[in-house]
Amino acid sequence: MTAGDGHARARWARRGDIALRVVAAVPLGYATASLWAMAIARLLPGDRAEASVTASLVALALCAIAAIWAFAARSGWRAIWTLAVAAGLAAAIAWISIDATGRV
Amino acid sequence: MSKGFRQSQAFLHTWSGLLLGWILFLVFVAGTIAFWREGLNRWMRPEIARVEQPMRVLAGAQAYLARKAPDAKSWIIPVATKRSPGAQLFWVPQPKPGEERGRGRSRGRRDTQALIGADGQVAQARETRGGEFFYRFHFDLHYMPVIWARWLVGFATMVMLVAIISGIVTHKKIFKDFFTLRRARGQRSWLDGHNATAVLALPFHLMITYTGLVTLMTLLMPWAVVANYTDQKTVFAALFPTAAAIERTGRPAPLIDLRRIATDAQRRLGAPASFIEVSDPGDAAARVSVSQSANSMLSSRTPQLTYDGVTGRLVWRSPPPGAAAETAGAMVGLHAGRFAGNGGRWLYFLCGIAGTLMIASGLVLWTVKRRERLPDPTRPHVGFRVVERLNVAVVGGFPLGIACFFCANRLLPVTLHARADWEVHMLFIAWALAAAIAFVARPARVWPSLFAATGVLLVALPVYDVVATDRGLFAMLAIGDLMIAGIDATMALFGIAFLLLARRVARHRPAARRVRSARTAPAAMLEPAE
Repeated sequence: MTAGDGHARARWARRGDIALRVVAAVPLGYATASLWAMAIARLLPGDRAEASVTASLVALALCAIAAIWAFAARSGWRAIWTLAVAAGLAAAIAWISIDATGRV
Repeated sequence: MSKGFRQSQAFLHTWSGLLLGWILFLVFVAGTIAFWREGLNRWMRPEIARVEQPMRVLAGAQAYLARKAPDAKSWIIPVATKRSPGAQLFWVPQPKPGEERGRGRSRGRRDTQALIGADGQVAQARETRGGEFFYRFHFDLHYMPVIWARWLVGFATMVMLVAIISGIVTHKKIFKDFFTLRRARGQRSWLDGHNATAVLALPFHLMITYTGLVTLMTLLMPWAVVANYTDQKTVFAALFPTAAAIERTGRPAPLIDLRRIATDAQRRLGAPASFIEVSDPGDAAARVSVSQSANSMLSSRTPQLTYDGVTGRLVWRSPPPGAAAETAGAMVGLHAGRFAGNGGRWLYFLCGIAGTLMIASGLVLWTVKRRERLPDPTRPHVGFRVVERLNVAVVGGFPLGIACFFCANRLLPVTLHARADWEVHMLFIAWALAAAIAFVARPARVWPSLFAATGVLLVALPVYDVVATDRGLFAMLAIGDLMIAGIDATMALFGIAFLLLARRVARHRPAARRVRSARTAPAAMLEPAE
């Protein structure tokens, strides 16, 4: 293996890492924010319309935070699995809550 | 703050800013101009007199609709103000049996709308989209389905929010560097300019980006509603309540004078009215709803009153919105700035310009920074060339297109078929030509040419108004119409600024080589690298 090969391999590894982060930031980040929007909308007490609006306002900020985190995480894979765990948690909350009390 | 975090954010800031920067530039330019949309609606219809008596316009609108559409499903009449060209009304015809009842669908149709002028008659004005074009283009773009455009603009806005946050991290010293502007120092100057325009209006940039997302929230983030509601209509009814609908009786009954209702509503609301909607006019079940003007309050969720259209009795009043709905409404209101008076509009306008310059300087900075590191500056790689030329095409070309749009408004024949569309086509034709030139000629030549052309057109417009019309700058100042005078004066100022910019760019010699090989003549730039 020459030095050039190693260099090329490092470059491809970096590109792969960036691709993972883009996946984490855009589709996964949006999905995570959306699922948290659902979870927060379910968890907030009081008027349903008010809860939905509050959750939507918060979710817009979460979307940006998810994208920042996707690039701040130590590696692309780490960004993906941490966001996936966060999304899974929100999905579980929303699912259980909707299943228990239903929707308007 | 760890070094790794800052580096990751620098990468994110650079690339997200670059890839969406071109769309954001268009959105910022259009949005900034749209703060003067009411003024441009008047400026672009020079035939129309200024509204002095809004009630006279309203009476004219009612008389026109009673003649033209007595059996309509509903009439929608904006209340004219001194800022508006008149009342741009429209009506929704009775749905034919089996046809879906769509309220929004008739909005754009030419045969169900009219502009009532200051004298209460249908205004004989040139066909134009006026300032509304900039307002719609700001989020609907053009020549594409609006839903795609809004997703694209919404995505770009989210990227903007991310770019602002990561930018604060990247340019960590921006607050300290704000007081530094190193002129004629190449990359350093571009960076200082980028930082200055960013920090100067940073609260505005954060506010306008976040609230911009809120304006598109039902499209971009419907999931919180989905979590609580099986049908979106239920939540809309809860958030935007309206008086209970009543069935058309089929018994004719004369409609009350709308001026009486408007006067009563303004007294009850303690503020001007903006829209009057009449449902089932001429029927015993007629209803008249009046909305409070968004110019009079921060929140865009303005209170509404509904009256019996025959007796004029108040039958319904909108309940105060909940805290969250009011917050969202205030954010939308903050974004659109309708509540702002002339001073506030100027502040919005200047902050919008700062945002536009921040985006433009950021785009240019990408190339300036990389040009110095190119192995051979005379033969940059393809990616660099594409970015460099797209910058010229968008940052240099779009303002030229807008200048041509204004010129088309003045020069296209008044009788031209689909004239309003052709004004807009002229914008895009001019822009496409500018982009084509940007891709074949050297950027160093195209930048100043496009700026100079834009400058000449923008200076020519107010001159044309003075020479060829009776609504020139001085005539408008004399009668105290500061809105029209202000638009003419602002165009002249922008024209001069573009001309000065063109001269400066034309004389500019890149500093990069001078730094590396001191005392080499700038002409050496063109020599192949050793």
